[in-house]
Amino acid sequence: MIDFVKRIIYSIREYLILIILLLVSLSLISQNETPSLQKIKSFAFVNIAVINNIFHNIFISNNDSDEIIMLKRRNAELMLTVNKLREYAIENSEIKGMLNFTNESESDLLSANIIAKNFGNIIGNIIINRGEKDSIKVGMPVINHLGLIGIVYQTSNDFSLIRTLRNSKLKIAVEAQRSGVQGILSWEVEKLTLKNIPATYDINIGDRIITSDFSTLFPPKIPIGVVVKKENNISGLVSDIVIQPYVDFNKINNLFVKKLVISKELNEFELNLLKNIKPNE
Amino acid sequence: MNKYLIPILIFIPILFSQIFAVPFISFDNIGPNLILILLVFYTLLNGQIYGSILGFIFGLFFDLLSGGIIGSAMFSLTSAGFIAGYFFNPNKIETNFSLLNFFFIVFLSATIESFLFTILGPDEFNFDLLKLIFERSVVPGFYTSIIALIVIVLLPKRNYQND
Repeated sequence: MIDFVKRIIYSIREYLILIILLLVSLSLISQNETPSLQKIKSFAFVNIAVINNIFHNIFISNNDSDEIIMLKRRNAELMLTVNKLREYAIENSEIKGMLNFTNESESDLLSANIIAKNFGNIIGNIIINRGEKDSIKVGMPVINHLGLIGIVYQTSNDFSLIRTLRNSKLKIAVEAQRSGVQGILSWEVEKLTLKNIPATYDINIGDRIITSDFSTLFPPKIPIGVVVKKENNISGLVSDIVIQPYVDFNKINNLFVKKLVISKELNEFELNLLKNIKPNE
Repeated sequence: MNKYLIPILIFIPILFSQIFAVPFISFDNIGPNLILILLVFYTLLNGQIYGSILGFIFGLFFDLLSGGIIGSAMFSLTSAGFIAGYFFNPNKIETNFSLLNFFFIVFLSATIESFLFTILGPDEFNFDLLKLIFERSVVPGFYTSIIALIVIVLLPKRNYQND
């Protein structure tokens, strides 16, 4: 009897091994957000960053002089300021007079170089050469002179992992700058999309999309992109709005981490959100 | 042990190329899968069980180091190794490494690998079946096969029977 079972098992061993390996893989997929796997991922992330940094230093010469980096920083600051000015032009003069422009225009940008990019259909991550020792914290927004790039998702002492707009796990509260229409922006395999916007809402091709006042992860009014397409669904009641981001993710080399100066209460609230639901809103 | 050690050692530079160099030769996020070429190559030399286990190991490293969903590449590469293993025949190794055969085996494995990786990856899977099959499975499979052909042509001729 035992021999018979052994013979059977031997004859189907390829399939048994395949099934066991596939079951292990599937169980790992379902366990992705558990602390133990997150710890392993963090360990792998730190190591790949170190190796890639060596590779980057050997093979890729960084031609950006200090002056260019300084100018890029100035560009990023100007981008934020220009965007605020655009916003002010839209608002009426009464509200404009009430704004405390001096306080809001303060920015604290930390320049960083990209040492690794990983862009796939759903994964859009960047590793930068700044980490906790540069006071980088999880949840800080990442921008360049064109607009929003993403959010700091993981940090080690010397490196940080940025979850970019091209990552399906990052969902951002945004608004159309002209009409104020609100929505949740996410990466849908190939494009940035605002899902399920009622067809009657005032949103047109060419409208600028910026981070919303209601965002709990990003400061408001950071430019993201421009509306390029409206896709009506079958019922015709709601549309998906396709956004072309201002940032060309294939070309970026330098970026800035915006060190947010926010109240402790809001800070804790944001980090709590991050702990519970990842960078989703 | 060497049976697994050598491919894993070769795998390390291939993995870094896959993560950091392949995006430069990708069109619309469709690029070749260098890891799969290595997997098929060693599976055709060593068999189906070996291919499944090697695919599992490659997938684990890829998932960990690419920052993706742990388990997705493990699943798809294990399946690809298993499928490539169907073509293993100790008496026909030379034949399997002929241009046309190798192209076909890589194409089939890569297409299925891309298909599985795509459907296991996104949280919100919402694109149509035709697009999934052609744009996200067949096209990357074809691209991978083309690169595999180049690899086979460039590899020095050897007697695979002795490997």
